[in-house]
Formats: sequence, C-alpha cells, structure tokens
Amino acid sequence: MDEFQSGEETAFVVDEVSNIIKEAIEGAIGGNAYQHSKVNQWTTSVVEQTLSQLTKLGKPFKYIVTCVIMQKNGAGLHTASSCFWDNSSDGNCTVRWENKTMYCIVTAFGLAI
Amino acid sequence: MEEFQPHNDEMIFNAEEAHNIVKECIESILGKADYSHDKVNQWTATIVEQSLTHLVKLGKTYKYIVTCAVMQKSGAGLHTASSCFWDTTTDGTCTVRWENRTMNCIVNVFAVAIIL
Repeated sequence: MDEFQSGEETAFVVDEVSNIIKEAIEGAIGGNAYQHSKVNQWTTSVVEQTLSQLTKLGKPFKYIVTCVIMQKNGAGLHTASSCFWDNSSDGNCTVRWENKTMYCIVTAFGLAI
Repeated sequence: MEEFQPHNDEMIFNAEEAHNIVKECIESILGKADYSHDKVNQWTATIVEQSLTHLVKLGKTYKYIVTCAVMQKSGAGLHTASSCFWDTTTDGTCTVRWENRTMNCIVNVFAVAIIL
C-alpha cells in the first residue's frame, strides 16, 4: 500500500495512519501498568507523537487525534463518532490497544484542505 | 453572540453555541436513564447523530466531527486527550462533560472550516 505514493497522494491512507498510531502507543505506554499519576502524561504523549508523525507525511490535511486510556476494572465504556465531511477525501482510523491493566483507544481524523 | 455571522474570510467557531446544542442533546437522551448495557450503543449513536444534525443546521461552512464516550460509574480511571493540527483562527473544538448517578458522558465536537 505504501508504493501508492507517487509524490502527491492526497487521500487518507488508513494503513499508514494505523501504523503511525500503533508505534506511538507502543512507544508511550508499551510495557507499562496503569498508573494514575502517569496517565495524563501518557495520553498527551500519544496524541502529540501521533500528530507530529502525521504532519511529517506532508499531505494537505488538517488532523485531529484523540486518545482515551481506561483502567481495566470491569466498567463498561462505549464510544461513538459521527462526521460531516467530504467522503471522497476525508477519513479516520481507530486503533484499540490493551494490556493487562488498561485499554487505550486512539482515533485519528484527517480532513482534506 | 449568535447574530455575529461574519463573512467567509472571517469565520470563528462559536463554542458556546455548540456547547448548548450538545448539552440539550445529551439531556434529552440520557436525562433520566440509568446505565444499561443493552441501551448504551443506541444512546451514543443517537447523541452523535442528533448533535451533528443540529450543528449542520447552523448552516456554516464547516466540516464537523462529533465523538461521544459513555462510561459506567464504577471507580475506574478514564483519561482522554486530543491534539489538532489545523488553522487556529477558524477551527475550534468544544467538550461537554455530563454525568448522573450511574454514568459519565463526554462529548467532543471538532469543527474544521471549509476553504472555498
């Protein structure tokens, strides 16, 4: 899928974005257990790392990245999102990650300029 | 604040207006309900769709993204963060936090101006 980059590919490429997100999550919290005192800094670092890698792609997009980290404790969590945009050029990608003590859900939205 | 409708080159996202719209949607859907595993899917879907419909009815040239998270109150910790790469003069976001006895609800609205 990556060869489809002949200079100016201006479509939202889900696989590429998904890999960027996975690396950002692994880098920030991979191997850590839920810790109340660190979680703020983790969520911030996941979104910032993801956003900076996305902007490095150099495509004419505006990006929104959100990250939710939840302690594993039996509670139910449901999320939904609805978007009003241009279906042909805009897109989103959600990555769900978990380890023994927490869940992490990161969503990246890309809107063509 | 609502009559301030500038022309195309000077659009600002009116966060207060969006906040009110979303708050009303949440109230009407979750107002008197208790957390219910079977209904939660339908609630989150209805909240985002209704909020989006009302925002679009404002008739401004914006693209919108609305996200909603509903969580059962059970002592678990939940943290969310978001980061945006956009035009800070025209784009904006608004977050509404709501809760009742049995659940927490967090709705985020992101508005991105369309450049014509």
